[in-house]
Amino acid sequence: MRGSTIYIEGSSGLHTLHPLTKLAFSGLCFACAAALPTLPWLLAMFGLVILPLAIWGRLTKAFLKACLLVVGPFLLSLSIIQGFFHGGETVLFALGRFSYTLEGLMAGLLFAARLLVALGGTLLLMQSTDQAHLMQALTERGFPTRIAYVVLTAIQIFPSFQDRAQVIIDAQQARGLELQTGALNRARLLLPMVGPLILGSVMNVSERAMALEARGFSSPAHKTSLRSLADTGAQRAVRWLLVAAAIALLLWRLWSALA
Amino acid sequence: MNSFRKEFTTLSITLIAVGIALNLALGTVVLRLGLPLYLDSIGTVLVGALVGPWAGAATGFLSNLVWTLTGLYPQAFAWAGVAAIIGVLAGVFARSGWLNSIGKAALAGLITGVVSAVLSAPIATYVFGGVVGAGTDALVAAFRAAGLDALMSNVAQGTFSDPLDKLVSFVIVWSLLLALPAREKARFGNLPVASTARAPQGATRRPAGKAAKSAAKKTATKKAARRK
Repeated sequence: MRGSTIYIEGSSGLHTLHPLTKLAFSGLCFACAAALPTLPWLLAMFGLVILPLAIWGRLTKAFLKACLLVVGPFLLSLSIIQGFFHGGETVLFALGRFSYTLEGLMAGLLFAARLLVALGGTLLLMQSTDQAHLMQALTERGFPTRIAYVVLTAIQIFPSFQDRAQVIIDAQQARGLELQTGALNRARLLLPMVGPLILGSVMNVSERAMALEARGFSSPAHKTSLRSLADTGAQRAVRWLLVAAAIALLLWRLWSALA
Repeated sequence: MNSFRKEFTTLSITLIAVGIALNLALGTVVLRLGLPLYLDSIGTVLVGALVGPWAGAATGFLSNLVWTLTGLYPQAFAWAGVAAIIGVLAGVFARSGWLNSIGKAALAGLITGVVSAVLSAPIATYVFGGVVGAGTDALVAAFRAAGLDALMSNVAQGTFSDPLDKLVSFVIVWSLLLALPAREKARFGNLPVASTARAPQGATRRPAGKAAKSAAKKTATKKAARRK
């Protein structure tokens, strides 16, 4: 599919799995991120389950890079804020009246690890699955086609919107607008930039809508798809297991929190 | 439920897709301008204003889903509910005529910004450990150092940036509604009639030029043209 996406084409076993199987695995990752109690458990989930799957999908480099880009800044902020303000007994060092505690650092790392597990599950799905296939798999199971249309269209058209915004900025600069000056000058650019972009696209909407109607968008008739997604009985079973495991984990967590 | 269905025609579905694309495009381009604004909800406010609260909610929610799906900002989905509420507020404010004057539009933006800051703070605090992984975390650290607790530090940080951002977004949408031909506005049917009253013939076919702008102003002042 065209448009902005982090999908990386490939023919690995991970790529050929049914999108819903991978979606169920992402769900389990979210449950793990929320429910696993300690840092070693979370790191084991990432290192022993999620990462090997990324390696199996031949996504290792892109996967780790994306993880680092998102979790890195969080790790930095968390280790500072939690380290200084979480409180605790074991003081590692002190800056003025603020002391940096081991307990705080560990609390920060725990948050970062939860984020890493949830993010890993999402990235694994998104990097190995074409969004169009995912949406097709969902609509085949009764997910509203209109939502699938909206999501896929937005993903496809926004890079061209970005380009148009950049063209407008360039044109304004060519007419003497200075970007290297103060914030107020740059803020002045906003209206001439967003105005034409938004007005133009809103006025195209009715043409788009008519084109859709001409192709039977709101027709209640059953629509068939050119592409068929491969699914197997084994995968169906695995999906149920993944969902059951996720629910069990969350229930266990809830139960142990109440007890 | 009837109003819900009315907001999801083929036409408004198409507008929602465009609104999401606008959120993403502006969100990423404005980042490059280096302003202390996000402007990643102009599309949400616009759809909410033109079509209504439900459509605004859908635009906000799905925008954050798309931020996640495209991998541009994977953590966005955690805030999808807040984005939906911004869309609802925009729809309600526009329906009650708050987007007809710049002063009211700015106030509506401020209120939306405060609501969004207050609702975002618990998510940042309890899901992400009180940080968002961006430069604004320095503010959170400063508020913690000043003695505020975890949740209040995030509320305080949010009220620094969100109201200004939403104020600018609402004012931009207000000015766009002035420039948008009355025919386009009437098509979606959320705005009160005074601001969507019929424009003089000839002005409607033209793109958003001065003619349409002045036509919109003229019709807005014509109180007599207000239909029941």
